[in-house]
Amino acid sequence: MRSDRTPLGERILDQARDRPAAPALVWHGQETSYGHLHHRTQAQRTRLERVEPEFDRPLGIWAAKSPEAVALVLACLCDERPFLLLPTDLPSDTATDLARKAGCRFILPATGDPEQVHTPEEWTRQRIPDGTTFMLTTSGSTGRPKIVPLGGAAVGRFMDWAGPAFDLGPGTTVLNHAPLSFDLCLFDIWTSLAHGARVVLVDPEYAAQGRHLLKLIVTHEVTVMQAVPMAYGLLLDAARAADTPLAGVRHAIVTGDVLPERTHAGLTWLLPRARAHNVYGCTETNDSFRHEITGTETHRDGGLPIGSPIPGVRALVLDDNGEEVTHAGTGELYVCTPFQSEGYLDRGLRSDAFLSHPLGRDERQWYRTGDLVRREADGSIRLLGRVDFQVKIRGVAVNLAEVERTLLSHPDVLEAGVTTVPDPVAGRALLSVIRRTQESELTSLSLRRHCVQRLPRAFVPTNFRVLDEALPRTSTGKVDRTALDRL
Amino acid sequence: MSHNDAIKQFIISEFLPDLTTDQLDDDHDLLADSVIDSIGTLKLISWVENNFDLAVEDTEMNPENFRTVTAISAFITERRQRRGVEPQDV
Repeated sequence: MRSDRTPLGERILDQARDRPAAPALVWHGQETSYGHLHHRTQAQRTRLERVEPEFDRPLGIWAAKSPEAVALVLACLCDERPFLLLPTDLPSDTATDLARKAGCRFILPATGDPEQVHTPEEWTRQRIPDGTTFMLTTSGSTGRPKIVPLGGAAVGRFMDWAGPAFDLGPGTTVLNHAPLSFDLCLFDIWTSLAHGARVVLVDPEYAAQGRHLLKLIVTHEVTVMQAVPMAYGLLLDAARAADTPLAGVRHAIVTGDVLPERTHAGLTWLLPRARAHNVYGCTETNDSFRHEITGTETHRDGGLPIGSPIPGVRALVLDDNGEEVTHAGTGELYVCTPFQSEGYLDRGLRSDAFLSHPLGRDERQWYRTGDLVRREADGSIRLLGRVDFQVKIRGVAVNLAEVERTLLSHPDVLEAGVTTVPDPVAGRALLSVIRRTQESELTSLSLRRHCVQRLPRAFVPTNFRVLDEALPRTSTGKVDRTALDRL
Repeated sequence: MSHNDAIKQFIISEFLPDLTTDQLDDDHDLLADSVIDSIGTLKLISWVENNFDLAVEDTEMNPENFRTVTAISAFITERRQRRGVEPQDV
């Protein structure tokens, strides 16, 4: 492995020099070798030079997963260009707006014509931290996506930890379940490639089909996998139906959400030879905590322990009075990781998230997670929920207030409330309840369309209930989210 | 024979309980509005399998087969006809 100073793309293409015939990617059953990936990357570098000759100007990338899209990202990494990975489910106005905010002049698909988002006259340089590579997006607590720039050195440190921690190397096959725009790809695609592993890319169209996932893992002999709890639940059902546990898997990372009790109970059967890890992290800081799942731990307050900080990570739990919880107790989790972002691109957004040590004990930058946790007397941590109105739906942070605001922007909606309800497969699903105006003929179908046009897909409720009566209110006059599921 | 009514009734009872059958168009794009998301597709497939005595293969899980009531109905009709002329696989 080359040093911190080496561009991330070069680290990956070193594999192409040393082992050109070794497989790098599997996509729809087709293998791409490291040599071929190198060749495609060089072609993308040439293309990029034509589109955007200025290497320090960020590029927007339409993150539709494919080997060619992997080559496009690699081209940016090789040339140390900053780039914004745009989720493919964003409404197109939001995507354009984000690209503008990041100072991109173009949004590029993996192949085809770039979309110009700024004319040369109106383009202005945005202040982007030096050394920025990936710019990821997070919905966060305001609901409007925030841009999280990650420095090449921070991502390099993550790769240096995660590769050995999960035994990535030639001969390892890693399942990439998440969409290409997700932070999870930093591990399952980019760290895997930097260590010479083979990556099986799951087509997001089929990512919720247990039988498909099972077949991919068995056929391609996957040894390491990372996915949100829902994927493990789907796999468990499919594997039980086929009586085929995943005996080839050595490491299984569960992350992004709370593992439902039912899936937890089946995990040792599903993964008889794997070490299973419950990993906690956020886009802003990358992985922060790890708990190795034994199968015998108890579920409490809706979840498993997230364990203890990863080497190099510092953590702190502060109670309501801002005092450190040192024994058993609950409070908000603060972390400081070697992998973290220096802050959102737009400093005005959630400006209190990145801060100096809340008790003034060191000179580092800390991140306020917004997660409410319980610290046990032995120092282990369990997630309890959010301090704000944020919930995780299938691995995506969703702000309930933002969904409510969108519902309320419909002219026929008088009142709106959104909450989560248990879902046997997804773990949790969004339920929205609205009161429509008198004489309105509003249906769940038109309300759904209203949401789809304005919100990322994960924010669109699974269930809509349209009422003509007033919604329950709390003593302070707010819609009582806790009473919605009884309506 | 068309299965539109049965399909519509299932979709409404499962995903759009406040609608009546005449409020849902046969050609309404169920995926674009995310009436049926990826998990909804699984529910729908399992309903199709149970109600029409079909086994939906992985290769047929193409979302395009489930985009509209018309598409679902065509898929079922086509599968049942195919089974009618070919001996069923064991």
